Parts: sequence; structure tokens; C-alpha cells
Amino acid sequence: MTIIRVGAKPKPFECLARFWDGKTADERIIKLTINERGPTLMLGEYGHWPLKDLRIMRDQAGAGALLLQSAEDAQMRIEIEDPQAQRILRSRCEDLGKRVPFGGLSKLLIAAVAAAASVAVMILFLVPLLADQLAKVLPPEGEKALGDHTLAQVSSMLSENDVLPLRSCQTPDGTAALEEITSRVLGEESLPYPLSVHVLDHPMVNAFALPGGHIVFFNGLLEAAETSDEVAAVFAHELGHVVARDPARIALRSAGSIGILGLLLGDFAGGTAVLWMAERLVQADYSQEAETAADIYASERLNAAKMDPAALGTFFERMLEDHGDADGLVQHFLSHPTFADRIEAAKTAPKPEGMTPALNDEAFAALKAICQVSEDEQEG
Amino acid sequence: MNALAEAFDRPSEEGSVEKGPVEIGPVKSSFLGRRRSLLWLALKTGFFTTLTLGFYRFWMKTRMRRWYWSAIRPGGSPLEYTGTPYEKLLGFLIAVVFLAFYLGLVNLVLMFASFALLQTNVLAYLLSFIGVIPFYFYARYRARRFLLARTRWRGIRFGLEPGAWSYALRAFWHSLLTLLTLGLLLPRQTFKLEKFVTDRTYFGTMQMRQNGDWRMLTPALVPFALGVIMSVMTLLVAQFDPSTSRGGRLMAPPLGPLLVFVPLSIYGLVHYRVVTRRILANHKSLGPMSLESNAQPLRVAGYVFGGGFISLAILMVPLLLISLVVGLVTAPELFIRAFGDILSPEAIATIERLADIPRGVLLVVAVVAYLSLQLIYSALHEILVSLPIRRHYMSTLSIKGLGEAHTIAQRPKDEFAEAEGFAEALDVGAAL
Repeated sequence: MTIIRVGAKPKPFECLARFWDGKTADERIIKLTINERGPTLMLGEYGHWPLKDLRIMRDQAGAGALLLQSAEDAQMRIEIEDPQAQRILRSRCEDLGKRVPFGGLSKLLIAAVAAAASVAVMILFLVPLLADQLAKVLPPEGEKALGDHTLAQVSSMLSENDVLPLRSCQTPDGTAALEEITSRVLGEESLPYPLSVHVLDHPMVNAFALPGGHIVFFNGLLEAAETSDEVAAVFAHELGHVVARDPARIALRSAGSIGILGLLLGDFAGGTAVLWMAERLVQADYSQEAETAADIYASERLNAAKMDPAALGTFFERMLEDHGDADGLVQHFLSHPTFADRIEAAKTAPKPEGMTPALNDEAFAALKAICQVSEDEQEG
Repeated sequence: MNALAEAFDRPSEEGSVEKGPVEIGPVKSSFLGRRRSLLWLALKTGFFTTLTLGFYRFWMKTRMRRWYWSAIRPGGSPLEYTGTPYEKLLGFLIAVVFLAFYLGLVNLVLMFASFALLQTNVLAYLLSFIGVIPFYFYARYRARRFLLARTRWRGIRFGLEPGAWSYALRAFWHSLLTLLTLGLLLPRQTFKLEKFVTDRTYFGTMQMRQNGDWRMLTPALVPFALGVIMSVMTLLVAQFDPSTSRGGRLMAPPLGPLLVFVPLSIYGLVHYRVVTRRILANHKSLGPMSLESNAQPLRVAGYVFGGGFISLAILMVPLLLISLVVGLVTAPELFIRAFGDILSPEAIATIERLADIPRGVLLVVAVVAYLSLQLIYSALHEILVSLPIRRHYMSTLSIKGLGEAHTIAQRPKDEFAEAEGFAEALDVGAAL
């Protein structure tokens, strides 16, 4: 390359700089010059750096000074205050902004795999294993308290305005109808704690059981039900989970998983972990065996109570046709591999002699209207 | 530039190549960094962190530290932070491997025990909190060690000797003593722990020393103690005064005196922290070098409360706007009922149409709004509270005996695979 200089020869580069050699804490003021052969930055008596090796330190507070290091020597530093010298170096050193390469990728990958494995082993294996064992020995009072606690959590987490918890629906006739279904399906069954059945004002077609004998219907499910038998069948299925103490298992599992999740997300999204816990309880991901057991239990109870055991099957089948993309309980039911078998099983279950609907028409209408707020209440 | 030129000329005038001990008086420290540059960095890195669901936080922390370190110039020379985001990420992953087991099992067993025995989860939270305390101290020491090992000044690394479990044990014991003496032994705790750490701190090959005695910190506790004692006294007097109390029940709390004494105790906490730091700094030595701090508690309190208040006040503007929009969209009927008289029919029709916006869209908007508010607040806090406080500490700090600095040599690199992983995972407040 030929450089054609016009006019006077430019003044050779020269400036003062602070210099730390990285060997002692002494601070020296040195004179920097550039040797055009190379070209190289001369650090007086302390050596020389090829211009292509000069690296800027990143994210400096600035204050007008330029802090430099050499790509070949991580110890020495020079700090230049002279603005003109800074400009010259910035324009002459092409690689000034290049990052110092990072060498530990394989270590990082190993650690990532180990961390993922550790979390997976905990969440998928150890926590469930331990939770299942502990759920078996959790005393009824403890399970009740756990259930009360999670019910409050679920109803406030799912509320739409995030301020008030979900409204728990009650009307004299509707509540009476709910109690009728409860006592008919429950029959002679005895539980270690009193069963409490709630209707929460939420449009999702869903019902779930919580620890300590809580069964929760969302209003969306009551509205979607065409017969009282369908409500009774869903209730019987959830009762099956309560009897098997499945919800306590899930609640303990999420208690173990939530700390790990909070750890992964950091304080950045700690609240999300709680939300996730509420979600888990609602979507209750029981094992296939637990679902089948609950189905069998429901079928038996409905039979004994002289109600239609096929109602569960017809209800889900209709949801599938109506919505296509159902949510909540239905979605979960659909995603289960043996869904068709289960509908079939429910449908072909022997019908009891002298079968009667779960509720008369009047009571069923009252149940469906349980979340409707009357005009004068709305005013108040 | 003139200062540099003078310094450059000085040895040549003396004509000596061999550098002997040079007597220099106390050299002032400084903080060179502009708010605007920090605000931009905080917003930018915070935005990336939000965008990556928190993954970028290792980079954010590293970059913020690099900025702060380069602005802090003890004796005029900048600190340098040499930690990398990759080692922070690696440390975090290592911590996850261990803590996943610990947190999963401990939380589960505690939750079970708490509900099984007491029918409440309070015990679980309490035990889980107490159980984590020694680990918290351990993590704090390890984090300090990592931070010092990644800090250079005048080209020389700092370092901290191993001793995290020993520190955790002492910290636990001293906290217990402080608790049992209702805070009277807090100065002792502060001093002993600081001495433990300082005496194990190295700058290059030179070991640091914490001199002095814990009793020199006691006066720093006076404003806090006075505030607390006077608040309690005021309440007690009112309790037994028949004009303010009836049948042992306080009817009219003495608001006047409480308005003085409660803020006094809150200020007392800041006062204690600043004054003890100052006294401790003035009694530290590093071989021939020593520190001279003149940090003012009132100034720091001004930044903590004034800066904190201003950040919140600024935050109110977007917060109010967002609340208004959320209110409009979720409950238009309330809004129309309240302001219907002063709105035109077209405006009312527009408001009613807002209710048709799908829920999913609203949810996304709400989450984005929440995260942006958090981002803005932390950036404001950074430039209105953290930066002024650090600037104040630096501008009131001088270093004596810098002429002997050439006697201090480099120390080997402290490899530290776990970095601050545990501290990060346990959310140990990482101060400087």
C-alpha cells in the first residue's frame, strides 16, 4: 500500500498514560509512542504491544479515559486521558472492540447437563416418590389444613383482577341441590374429614379435588352440564381422588418442586412459581392408574346410588364435539391416552336397576343458577 | 492532563532511576461516572434480562459491576472487575446441582412436618428460614471471596483466604448473642465479623488488618437505640396516663412524639451502618497504607430516603397511567358511572368498546407493563440511590502511604468454579 502524504508530515503519535504492570501495585506515568513498523504501541521501557492486539475494556464508566489491555497479556493495563490520542488509537486499531475469547464452553455444558439432570431427578423422581410416601402418613387434620390453605391460594391466584379471590357461589336452592348430589353419591362412604364442596365463579369447564376433602366445581362446568347426572358423575370421579388421597400427594409434590423452580427463575419471577403451583393443583396431573381408579370408584358409587354411570362418558364426549379444544378437566381427560377406552368403559358399565336422575329438574335448574347474582344483590 | 505531566516529570527531575520510598500525603479518592451512562446501561441490560426470562441476569450483573468498578477510583486509580458472565453462569449451574436436592427435600419434609404436627405452614417457613441462615452466611463469605478475587486495583488482585464455614459459625453465634441482648451487642457482632473478613483479606501479597476494638462502634448505635427506647417509653407512658388511656387500653396514641422517635430509629439504622463503616475503614491498614474516611451519615440517609422517594414518585407517573388503562378495560361500567356526566357520548361508546379486547391480549399487556415498571424502578434506584451513595463514600475517602505501593506484588489467581452461585441462588444481597 502506498500512502501519499499531502502537506506537512503529521506529528508523530505521543501521549502520556497511566500504566500498571500487573506485577506490583506501583502506578507509573509513561510516554506512549507508535513504532510504524508493525505497527506497534511502544510502552517506554515496559515493552510494546502490536496495535492489532490492543483491546478496550468493556462497560467502562467512561469519565473520558480509555482503558486498554493487550490480547496477549492479561496483566498490564494502560489508561489514556488525552482525547486526541484516544481518537487516533480508536481509528488505527481495528480489533479494539474485539472480545477476549471465552474458553470454558465444555465445562459450562457439563454443568448445564448436570444441573438439568439434578432438577429432573428431583422433580420427576425423588420428590414424587417421597411425596407419595408422606401423603400416606399425613394425619387427616394436617391434610385438612393443607387443603384449606391451598383452596385459599387457588381461589386468589385464579381470580381475574388479582385483588379479590374468586367468588364462592351460594344460593339457598343451589346449595341444597349440591348437598343432595353430595349425600346421594357419598352414600355410606365415610371419610376421615368432612367433605366440603365449593362452586367458584370461573368460566372454565373444570372441577378438581384438593387435599382434606375439598371438591371444587367451576361454574363453567355447571353451565356446560346438560343433565344432573353429568354433574354427579364428575363429582363421583373427584370423590374417587379424595378417597385415594391423590390431591394430598399432588400438593406435597408441588411443595417440594416449588423451591427448585424458584431457584431456577431467581428473584426475577418468584411470583410465577406460586402461580405455577396453583395451576398444578387445578390441572391435577394424576397418574393413569389414579385416573382409572377414580373412574372405577365413580362407576361403583353411581351404581350403588342408582344413578347413570355412563354420564361421565357422555359429558366428555359432548364437550369434545362442542368445543373441539376443551380446557381444564376435559382437556386433561382428552390428553390421556386411554380416553376412548374410558368413555367406552363408562358407557358400557352395567346400568343399575331403578335408575333415577341425580336431581329433579327444579333442583338442577337451581344448581345451574348458583352463580347468578340477583338484581338486588348486584345493586348492593 | 497536567497532573499526569507533573507526575511524569517528577522522577526525571530527581534524576533517579531507582525508585525509593516516596513520601506522599493522603491521596483523595474519586467516583467518575455519569448518571446518564449508568441509566442507559441499567435499562439496556435490564431489558435483555426481562426479554430472556432472567437468563441474561449474569451478563447484566457483570456489566453493571464493570461499570461501577471502573467509576470507583480509590486514590485516583480505578478498580477493575475481571469476573465474566460465563463463570457466573457456571457457578449458578453448580449451585443448582446441589441446591435442587437440598431445597426439594427440605421444603417437602418441612411442609409435611408442619402440616402434620401443627396444621399450619408457619412452622415450615420458620424452620426453613432458620435452617438456611448458616448457609446464607456461608454463601455471603464465598461471594465476598469471589468478588475480591475478581477485583483489581492498580493492576493487583485482591484475595480472601478460605474460611466460609468458620465465618458462618461465628456469624450465627454473634447473631444469636445480638438477638439475646436485644441488639446491645450488635457493635460487637459488626466488629468481630468485619475483623474476621478483613484480617483474611489480601491486596496482592499484602495482608489487610482490622485494628481497633468493638467498643469504638458503640456510639454509632446511639441514635437508633434512642429512637427505639423513646418510642417504647412514649407508648408506655401513654398507656399508664389516665388522660390518654382507659382501662389499660390506649385511646389516643401520642402521635406527636412518635412522629419524631420512629423516624429517628429508622434514620438510626442508616447512621449505624455509615458511621461503623467509617470507623472500621479508619482502623484498617494494609502494610504501610491506611484509609481515611469521612463519610457523612446524614448525606447517605438523604440519598437512601430522598432518592428512594424520588424514584417512587417518578414511578407513580407510568403506574397511574397503567392503572387508569387497566381500570378502563376491566371495569368500564364503573368508570362511566363515575365520570359519565363529564364525558361525551362518543367517549363513552369508545370506553364500552374497550371491554371487547380479548383477555389474552390484556394479560400479555399487563405482564409487560408490570415487568417494565420493575425495570424502570430498578434503574431509577440505581442512579438515584446506589450511585450517589457510592460516590459519597469515594469522595470522602483518602489513602495514606501510597508511596509504598511498589512493595506490594501480584498474587496468583483464585480459581473459583462455583463463583457466586450459592449467594445468587439464596439471593444474598450482593453489596459492593
